[in-house]
Amino acid sequence: MTGETKKAPKLPEAGQWPDRIAPAVLVAGIVLSTIGFLLAFLWASPVNGAAVNGVEMIGGQMVTNVLLLSQKIFYFHMPVAITSFAALAFAGYYAVRFLMTKNRRFDTCSKIAMEVALLFVACTMITGDLWTRFEWGVWWTWDPRLTTYLILMLIIIAYFILRNAIDEPERRATYGAVLAIIALIDVPICFMVTRLIPSSIHPVVVREGGMSGDMGITLMFCLAGIAMVGFALYRLRFRQVRLTERVEALKEQLED
Amino acid sequence: MAAEKGATVRTAGGVALKKPSTFQQYKTLLRKDLEQEFRTKEMLTSMGIYALLVIIVYGAALAQTSQTTDILQMSGGLLWALIVFTSLLGLNRSFAHEKEQGCLEGILLVPMDRSVVFLAKATSNLLFLLVVEVVAVPLFYFFFLTTTTPSESFWLLVVPLLVGTVGVAGIGTLLSTITINTRGKDVMLAVLFIPLIFPLLYACVSATTAAIVGAEGYADVMLTSLALAGGYDVIMILASWVLYDFVISA
Repeated sequence: MTGETKKAPKLPEAGQWPDRIAPAVLVAGIVLSTIGFLLAFLWASPVNGAAVNGVEMIGGQMVTNVLLLSQKIFYFHMPVAITSFAALAFAGYYAVRFLMTKNRRFDTCSKIAMEVALLFVACTMITGDLWTRFEWGVWWTWDPRLTTYLILMLIIIAYFILRNAIDEPERRATYGAVLAIIALIDVPICFMVTRLIPSSIHPVVVREGGMSGDMGITLMFCLAGIAMVGFALYRLRFRQVRLTERVEALKEQLED
Repeated sequence: MAAEKGATVRTAGGVALKKPSTFQQYKTLLRKDLEQEFRTKEMLTSMGIYALLVIIVYGAALAQTSQTTDILQMSGGLLWALIVFTSLLGLNRSFAHEKEQGCLEGILLVPMDRSVVFLAKATSNLLFLLVVEVVAVPLFYFFFLTTTTPSESFWLLVVPLLVGTVGVAGIGTLLSTITINTRGKDVMLAVLFIPLIFPLLYACVSATTAAIVGAEGYADVMLTSLALAGGYDVIMILASWVLYDFVISA
């Protein structure tokens, strides 16, 4: 780092304290998720009425073993979905911060949060679709949640297509931030619209609320684990991208 | 365009200049778009012909269905598919003129609020879309709905059409400004536009179908759908308005 004296503030910085704990968080997240996985299958009490129209299934005899197992996916589906929302919210937050400050660091943050969001949205879609196929017997229905997630996934993909289609870094960052904000506004509206307008084919699926204590604890393990994995992925990727930017900046500085 | 309402600005050289008001700027920009369109008639003809072509495609696509039973339930969706594709075509064109002659740079040189540009462009897009709809909806009726009898509430479909078109023009103007500067802009607009417009499309199809079919309790469905579509319009246009400054300056 030769040119540290004058141009140092302009260099993209990297390697703050969260980067140092990120690997540990990743390991901890994996361990917690694994514990949650084991708890979900070995300890958490089976559920009756987890299926659609669960009301008819009341009384343990009606519920078969297979049917109970399908509910286990909930312990992963829900934490992954929540993490994807959190990542998206962070992407939106950093997009706003970028438009306020025009600091490229926030653009990188927003982009990487979007990448993590895409990963977790894809995982949510896969786990959700497995369940849908098993429980409802169809691969796809235009259920509000499914529709919203599909649209969300398409918008995130569109975000990356847009970024790839622009060459100037300034413009790419601005357009990306604008689209991230619009997407964040659009998705709740999408859920509201598909939920509130009665579709002529599929009824709104009402699910039973309430969890027993052991289910809650299992869910907490999975939620904490997966959220930590999400954070660690974000941070590690951020460090990588940021270091790349730093190397580029240093190279340019050496050429001058 | 300097008119009596604008504030007077005195420059260093002692020359009095009239600073036009925001509304005058808006009118001037809108008139520029309309005049350009009425001279070339490029957007209107291409959109109108495209709408007709989509109807012809529908004719082939629906040729094997039993028209009398299904068409009423389907027509709301078909009509909106027609409008979405036609507006995609128009929105793609809407900034092409500005780019060709360096017109956009000229507009940006004028010291004015950037959101005026957004409002003017959104209004002209809205007007063009409405003109095309005035032609396309009767054509659609002529080709598909004369074999059946739509309900008496059929005329109510102008409400969702209007609400939907406002939203399409609003968010479409923002997105077409974004995509004009990207590689492969035609595809890019579709990739951004269709997922973002989805909630509005869903609500408008629901309201339109309710109006055309006119089944029992259609007023409730229409009201819910229109409230949601209207909410989408308000939120999205406000967001676009705020964000437009960043987009056009980038």
